Amino acid sequence: MDYVTMNILDNTMLSICREMGIVLMKTSYSTIFNEALDFTCGIASPRGEMLSAAEFCPAQIGGLPLLIRSCLLEIPLSEIAPGDVLIHNDPYRGGLHTPEHTLFCPVFVGGELVAFTVAIGHVAEVGGMVPGGFAAEATEIFHEGIRVPPVKIKRRGEDVVEVWKLWLANVRTPRYNYGDMRAMISGVELGAQRLAAVVEKYGREVFTQTCSDLMDYAEKRMRAELAAFPDGVYHFVDYMDNDGVSDSEIRIEAHCHVQGNRLIVDYTGSSPQVRGPINATLGVAWSAAYNAVLHLTDPSIPKNSGCFRPIKIIAPRGTIVNVDYPAPEVGGNTEAHPRIAGAVIGALAQAAPQRAMAGEGGTHLNFVFGGHDPKHDEYFACYDIEVVGWGARAQADGNDATDSINGNCRVMPVEVFETRYPWLTEEYSLRADSGGAGRRRGGLGTKKIYRCLDAEITASQLTDRHQHQAYGLAGGLPGAAGMTWYQAHGRDAWQTMVEAFDKRSTSKWSNVTFKPGDRVQILTPGGGGYGAPAERDPALLEADVRDGFVSAEAARRDYGKTV
Amino acid sequence: MARYLVGVDVGGTFTDFVAWDRDMRALAVWKNLTTPADPTAGILTGLARIGDPATIDNLRLGTTVATNAVLERKGARVAYVATRGFRDIPFLQRGHRKHHYDSGWVRSRPLVLRRHCFEVDERLRADGEVLQPLDVASVEAVAEAIRAAGDIEAVAVNLLFSYVNPAHEQAVRARLQARLPGIPISISYDVLPKWKEYERASTTLADAYVKPVLQNYLGAMRERLDAAGVRAPVVMIKSNGGEMSLAAAREQPVQLTLSGPTGGVVATREVARELGIARAVTLDMGGTSTDCSTVVDGKISFTTDFEIEFGLPIQIPMIDIRTIGAGGGSIAWIDKGGMLRVGPESAGANPGPACYRFGGTRPTVTDANLVLGRINPANFLGGGMALAVDRASAALASVAEPLGMGLEALALAILRIVNNNMVGALRTVLLERGLDPREFALFAFGGAGPLHLSELLDEAGIPHGVVPLHPGQFSAFGFVLTDARVDLERTIQMTSTRFDAGRAGSFLRELLARAEADLAAQGHHGPLAVQRTIDLRYLGQNYELEVPFAFDEFTPANLARLWSDFHALHEARFGFRIAQETIEAITLRCTVRCATSRPDFVPLPPRTGRLLPHSVRRVVYAEGALDTPVYLREALRAGDSFVGPALVEEAASVTVLAPHHRLEVTAPGHLRVTAA
Amino acid sequence: MRFSANGYYVERYVKCDCCGVLIYDEGIAVTHPTAGALLFCSPWCREWQTQKLAGVESPRIDTPYA
Repeated sequence: MDYVTMNILDNTMLSICREMGIVLMKTSYSTIFNEALDFTCGIASPRGEMLSAAEFCPAQIGGLPLLIRSCLLEIPLSEIAPGDVLIHNDPYRGGLHTPEHTLFCPVFVGGELVAFTVAIGHVAEVGGMVPGGFAAEATEIFHEGIRVPPVKIKRRGEDVVEVWKLWLANVRTPRYNYGDMRAMISGVELGAQRLAAVVEKYGREVFTQTCSDLMDYAEKRMRAELAAFPDGVYHFVDYMDNDGVSDSEIRIEAHCHVQGNRLIVDYTGSSPQVRGPINATLGVAWSAAYNAVLHLTDPSIPKNSGCFRPIKIIAPRGTIVNVDYPAPEVGGNTEAHPRIAGAVIGALAQAAPQRAMAGEGGTHLNFVFGGHDPKHDEYFACYDIEVVGWGARAQADGNDATDSINGNCRVMPVEVFETRYPWLTEEYSLRADSGGAGRRRGGLGTKKIYRCLDAEITASQLTDRHQHQAYGLAGGLPGAAGMTWYQAHGRDAWQTMVEAFDKRSTSKWSNVTFKPGDRVQILTPGGGGYGAPAERDPALLEADVRDGFVSAEAARRDYGKTV
Repeated sequence: MARYLVGVDVGGTFTDFVAWDRDMRALAVWKNLTTPADPTAGILTGLARIGDPATIDNLRLGTTVATNAVLERKGARVAYVATRGFRDIPFLQRGHRKHHYDSGWVRSRPLVLRRHCFEVDERLRADGEVLQPLDVASVEAVAEAIRAAGDIEAVAVNLLFSYVNPAHEQAVRARLQARLPGIPISISYDVLPKWKEYERASTTLADAYVKPVLQNYLGAMRERLDAAGVRAPVVMIKSNGGEMSLAAAREQPVQLTLSGPTGGVVATREVARELGIARAVTLDMGGTSTDCSTVVDGKISFTTDFEIEFGLPIQIPMIDIRTIGAGGGSIAWIDKGGMLRVGPESAGANPGPACYRFGGTRPTVTDANLVLGRINPANFLGGGMALAVDRASAALASVAEPLGMGLEALALAILRIVNNNMVGALRTVLLERGLDPREFALFAFGGAGPLHLSELLDEAGIPHGVVPLHPGQFSAFGFVLTDARVDLERTIQMTSTRFDAGRAGSFLRELLARAEADLAAQGHHGPLAVQRTIDLRYLGQNYELEVPFAFDEFTPANLARLWSDFHALHEARFGFRIAQETIEAITLRCTVRCATSRPDFVPLPPRTGRLLPHSVRRVVYAEGALDTPVYLREALRAGDSFVGPALVEEAASVTVLAPHHRLEVTAPGHLRVTAA
Repeated sequence: MRFSANGYYVERYVKCDCCGVLIYDEGIAVTHPTAGALLFCSPWCREWQTQKLAGVESPRIDTPYA
């Protein structure tokens, strides 16, 4: 192996992926792209292996291998030509969930296909029964928006206009979708140009060999990490509140078999798939396992398919972790993923307690809405994510107000939000006492209050952890549950969506009409604590109380101390 | 009598001096050690070299005091004042993580304690309209709470949508000033009048945080200069490469955040102009880091995207300098998978590279350069510090043996890797801006830049390079070349379909008038160069392209040209345009510059005898070990030219010329490197 | 995966009875004495499921995963 060339090529590919990301951020239209950065850019081999991925959404990075697999099994390489761009979002063919669109651009050098550049992005509006893509009361995939199997959106450098027209006719905000799609295409095309120049410089054979060596290297690093875990079968169970259309809790179960330098993650025992839209696709089940393992191993391992080779995932079909057609699935990628990853971390925490983290808020809050904007006379739609408290670690408190483990998104600034959408934000703050007590305190969740200003808005939400809290570890207490409250114009009382609109779930509800003056309050869950609360350093507890992260009352109740 | 224009760059290890003697048209450069505990002492020591302090006409100072106060968390105890409901913005930040797979990561702490965050009752809408008027009683209550806290040294005020309508912020400031005499107050409209409340909060907090420190430092420095007889005015170098008066620096110290490295970029622009080079990319390589930036057609690239730590943005206008953690002190190591890596850990100045003999035992880039014969152990810092080749070899051996490599093979591999990291940084600054490396010249300076120039040219696909005069003091050199400049901006928020040309035009004329008045107040009355730009984006995008224009009235014809310029720029930068799309106009900006007295480049005397190398020594290249002639830079004359391998030694640096490259000496003594 | 004869649409999504991955080729068909007809994507999955059905808690299988 030529370690020097490997090092150089690995860094070069990573910088190409980052450049692609910058193009996406700077040119896209949806706030979920340009402010939240809910996208990922990567490079894949013609055999479907992931060669590189930049530091964006973990859910999408882990989902890449399966996405590419289906795409390449359905479109033979012989049909792919220079200038083509492929698009794919079908959750039943390797996709993560309906809004996540993947674009592939083939890279040709000397007439030969050497790689693909790939961009995965969450497109805010995809049609279906609610504006903004998260139909929390959906019971079929068809309620969740338009599915696009692997097809070409550009052929030999020209737009395939028929595909564009078909797609744009099925969404509420075609102008925005057009802009987002152009941004993604521009990103993969720029990446492809850059990569072609690199491959020309090194030669195809050196490039291919070095990529193969890089994957072997990542595999070797991952095996060394796994070998450090004691052999055994580790088991953990966590729950989701409900599916939005029925009341029962949903079981997520992980059995982690550590066998020397390999790991088998078996989800057998998890609930059968549910009627509501929180089922995970197989891509999510894979991605969540990878995500958990990458969080417990050395962060410097190159992120390519090699590091996934020692990991085998068993996700029984027809269950919450591998949904069968045509059940709904849009919440699986955002809500089931963190719970699945949390179960795997909870299991492996028994093998590596010093590396583990207590449960994190584990939801993206997924507040989506749309309506007619009189100022520009067009439909708007928005996917708003909120952040949660993270779990405490052996060495540190949990981080406050941080995006859940499967994303790495940014919250939209209030000033961007109100410039674009007819809400008024009345409060955005940290939730005191929402972090689980412990020697290390769990991170705090957040509180946001929106007031509908002057246009009617149709809103929906698909979140979780209103009932099942983020778990503590080593004697730490769980984090606070979240809640969503509604207040009608002119009333004092805050009600749940069940109370106000007879919805089935407080956390999963669709198509509520907000009129001017109506308010919604979103409380996000906190992270679990680590270690017994009594062992917390009194100086840290006192500072927490003085700064209002912990109330004096909670200090007495949870820590047994008077401050 | 007063005839010296003096540039001073106070860096982490050295304080660099450049003095331009207006009467003699002569330039002198020198450096001495920085005195971190009392930076003024190091400045005074250096200035003593000039002799009579009354001969100093003007002092231009770049400093890292503001940066260090933030990095070392040695700033003031700050109070934060926000719109009701939003005092937590500094803690909420944006919610993303530094590493996407690191359960051990700890979020950066804001520069304020939550117990010192307060709220006032008021609210504006997104268009600046008052939804709820400012409640004065709530401001009084905050003033009382700040006084009650007892130890607050500065206040940052950041109200929602103040960038559209600053009235409430200004009223809060007036009231707090009256109630809290002696406590400096920073309002976000003055510091950063732009949308996104967290980024504005972070920047305004940074301003308040460093203000008492900078006010003390600058005040004390002025007094001690006066006491030492240096009566010359002192101007501070801003992060955008312009200058500001001491009084202005005390008002807005956050503008000094990236003061130091700007000089090298400004100097590059001047040298490039002198040499007729249209496009230059800089490589300022020091001990722990390397800075890269670009100069295109005489224009420096600016940015407002800067984070002093992950998640702590300081979004003031600054020269877009990309810093990577690769320098002479970068350490080579073997990772868990057996791969050779270089950096980001650095031996810094202490313990420094193994060859410094300060106790470093791990191999660094400098050790690799030494073992390959590129650095002369007897001529480091002009012979001021002897280097230990044996210690460098021992350090390299500790890594070479487990890898089964020879010492020289390892040293070459270290250089290849660190060069590749720098190529990555160069490519990023070029390609992110849609610039083609093949049209550029690479300017290498800083202590280590000229060592790597020749090999970087090939790796980066850049056809030629320049080692300017005084590469070791290039930033201080840039300070004596800067113009006085004022940059002003104003949010306008219009679209191509609803453009209020009258209002936009009056905003623009106001900005220009204010800029001229500011320059006049600083004593600059010479001819002015005016640059106007407008930030545009497609309706729906959230990031703008800065489009230059050259008119004062937004007539239909001017607007049509502006929109078409934007479409063209968008296509050049991102590969596509959306021809029918509505365009949003966000910010109007103007920069007004006034040229100040500055040095010119004096031609070297012509060569009289033959050019002969000073010595010959063995140097290792990728091609193998070669006997290499060594030239002394002071012995070179205009027009001298030779083909590599060759070395050019000077007090603060060494230029390595690889075997297939040719070096030419320009009239004033800059070195140009091209393929042979 | 069973596609329509013209390839325009999917008639049935075929998945491995062990790991759940989509099977685009024939797969490995097995008739198990108690579990009946099963389809696997790979020898590893066949082996794992067979041993699990036989009551092995953590089968150790040395063939590659894929």
